[in-house]
Amino acid sequence: MSTGNISSEPNSDIRFEITQRPDFALLSVFLEQGQKVFAEPAAMASMSPTIELKAGFKGGFKKTFGRMLGGESMIINTFTAQNGPGEITFAPGTPGDTIHYHLDQSTLYMQRGAFMVHTEGIELTGKWQGAKGFFSGEGLVLLKASGSGDMFFNSYGAILEIDVTDEYIVDTSYVVAFEETLEYRVTILEGLKRSSKIKTLFFGGEGLVCRFSGQGKVWIQTRAVNPFLNWVYRFRPSRSN
Amino acid sequence: MQHEILARPAATVVRLDLDEGESFTCEVGAMIAMTTGMTVETTSRSRGGSGGLLKGLKRMLAGENFFLNHFTAQKPNQSIYLGPQLMGDIRHHFLSSGTLIVQGSSWLASSPGIEIDATWQGFTSALFSGESMFWVKCTGAGDLFLSSFGAIYEVDVDGRYTVDTGHIVAFEETLKFGIGKAGKSLIGSFLGGEGLVCKFEGQGKLYCQSHNPPSFGTLLGPKLRPR
Repeated sequence: MSTGNISSEPNSDIRFEITQRPDFALLSVFLEQGQKVFAEPAAMASMSPTIELKAGFKGGFKKTFGRMLGGESMIINTFTAQNGPGEITFAPGTPGDTIHYHLDQSTLYMQRGAFMVHTEGIELTGKWQGAKGFFSGEGLVLLKASGSGDMFFNSYGAILEIDVTDEYIVDTSYVVAFEETLEYRVTILEGLKRSSKIKTLFFGGEGLVCRFSGQGKVWIQTRAVNPFLNWVYRFRPSRSN
Repeated sequence: MQHEILARPAATVVRLDLDEGESFTCEVGAMIAMTTGMTVETTSRSRGGSGGLLKGLKRMLAGENFFLNHFTAQKPNQSIYLGPQLMGDIRHHFLSSGTLIVQGSSWLASSPGIEIDATWQGFTSALFSGESMFWVKCTGAGDLFLSSFGAIYEVDVDGRYTVDTGHIVAFEETLKFGIGKAGKSLIGSFLGGEGLVCKFEGQGKLYCQSHNPPSFGTLLGPKLRPR
């Protein structure tokens, strides 16, 4: 895995740098006069005075609603270098990593909450998973990013990039993003299936996995919020006290 | 079985690479991602009782879950990523002989040459004020992977050494130990925030963690709505 800084490449639409990886990743984007980026609310940490922020619904009702299903806010903030070039820093809500992905007339799927920032030319919509999403509980509600531009997504913990060449299994809580070239289905880890009495009821989502097939990249995170919450849950006071 | 520890020290995971026929055991929920040429079998170990899945389920409902997944590679070149729930590090310990006592939530995985006994009662459970702390006795030879909350540090005890019980990750059984209070008076110890400590004596390896999981839990818990 790579742990160093990530910088913009010749084909990137904006100049950027990701530092402090993988535990406290910080994204800095350097906008030219007139350039724009779109970000999840509360992702902005600091910015130059030349930048103007406009909060708003983006893409009309249907897309906004889709994003809500995708676990993101209805609002997407637009940052414009209105009064000259400037810098903005973004950081995710959880301590963790940030990864850059360049879209070129392509599509990327992201787990709910993973989206942080994108440039112009990318359209973000929710993808209702139907039963697939339902059975995975918190698991697999996806955001779909399509078009051309730069996408930045984040995680809780570090991000590992996996090149799937055939088939691969990821616990649903740990899926961050994956390329559209991959097929996927949510299933129960087979060891748990065999003894029919237990299944998912007792494992509360643990043991639900996403089975990818085909060729493409999948990004996974090294920690997940739900297992941590399950751990904290034990320390809650009981009602009777 | 080859291993590589990645993303140290805060969000650490371990990748195990297995050849056909190789296997290992980890706690249910430790698996993050894996290749598809492996089979999984679930069993349980319990504190103060025998194994068996149904018994295990009852204990799980009682909050004493300790379920194990046994992974076996059915094809060559299989790999799997494992990680703990809390932010922290992972340490590899090669057990050549003897016994390592591991704090329950620090035991992440081990190779099949190691016997896992979670019924170990060396510390009386009542002393831990219902923190569902349990201990895993690992005997045999093979690879052990230990996880910590925060950083992990190693102490070669030669003589006497005192550790807060919540900061213990694992220790060799060659060490004698006793539970006691940190200060002279019990009230003084508790007021000083140092509750019960483990006093080790003898020679052996001790792994400690920089942060104390029950302390963190009792800090967060009261701020949440009652269950």
